[in-house]
Amino acid sequence: MITCHAIGMGVMVGLALILDARLLGRFVDIPYSALHRFQGVAWLGFGINFLSGSCLFTTGSATKYIWNQEGGHWNWIFMTKMSLVILGAISAAVLQNSVGRNSASWAPGGAAPGNVRVVAWLSVFFWTMAIVTGRLTAYL
Amino acid sequence: MWHLYNAIQDWMQTTWIHHVVLDYAWSWPTLETLHFIGLSTLIGALLVMDLRLIGFQTVIPLRAVHALAPVAIVSFAINLITGLGFVIAVPRMYTTNWSFWAKMICVFLAGVNFIIYYTAIEPKLLKAGPTAPTPLSAKAIGVSSLVLWFSVLSFGRLLPYLGVGGG
Repeated sequence: MITCHAIGMGVMVGLALILDARLLGRFVDIPYSALHRFQGVAWLGFGINFLSGSCLFTTGSATKYIWNQEGGHWNWIFMTKMSLVILGAISAAVLQNSVGRNSASWAPGGAAPGNVRVVAWLSVFFWTMAIVTGRLTAYL
Repeated sequence: MWHLYNAIQDWMQTTWIHHVVLDYAWSWPTLETLHFIGLSTLIGALLVMDLRLIGFQTVIPLRAVHALAPVAIVSFAINLITGLGFVIAVPRMYTTNWSFWAKMICVFLAGVNFIIYYTAIEPKLLKAGPTAPTPLSAKAIGVSSLVLWFSVLSFGRLLPYLGVGGG
């Protein structure tokens, strides 16, 4: 399960970061129509992690991930990670929707419009910090 | 040969890197987090490159695959450096674990695979035109690259659970 979770992470976060970079004006050879299809592949990674994450959560039980019984405090790191994952997923959905509906009117060889770029930067931040806090879950 | 193998591992434990990684509570988690971020960007770049070679989304010109190669190389470099940090910190935890060697063999084979692509296949592809269908050799390279890198990821993540020791 932990291996599936790492694979899903690589697929979801890896593709999200590459696609964000495309929207921010890098790798401009990749057309927006192809970007849209790869966003679909990224959701496959998200699905893998939703399932494997649910399994890990159940086996670890709420006493580990929500309330730290040993330390007698809330597991803030885990809850921060989950918030970041939800925000990351929302940003991915917003970007996919935006690319699907509007990219035909964007200049093909450059960056996406300003408001889309803002969401792309947020996506980079959410996913990177989700990995940071996810890894710290094992230590704090 | 065995003597040299042991001497190298002993020497690793005398270096400053060994101490920096082990003596501060934050060193190991920081390296691990960087290793995971490098892993993600490597897999992300490879998925776009290899799926394109296999024939997914042929609207992407092949030079875009070429443009993504630096992302994969930099990601791999991050993971090589952070990974070396772990090995130098506790060499025998890794060298006594068969999953580590399985991972290293897959890294090596994936490297050979990439060199074959770069020297023998990509020049032909770039000549054939930006959206020309990819030959069987390119599809095979794409498939073996994905299989090998996902194996690297799996053997790496299973390190603490397989064999003795681990981390």
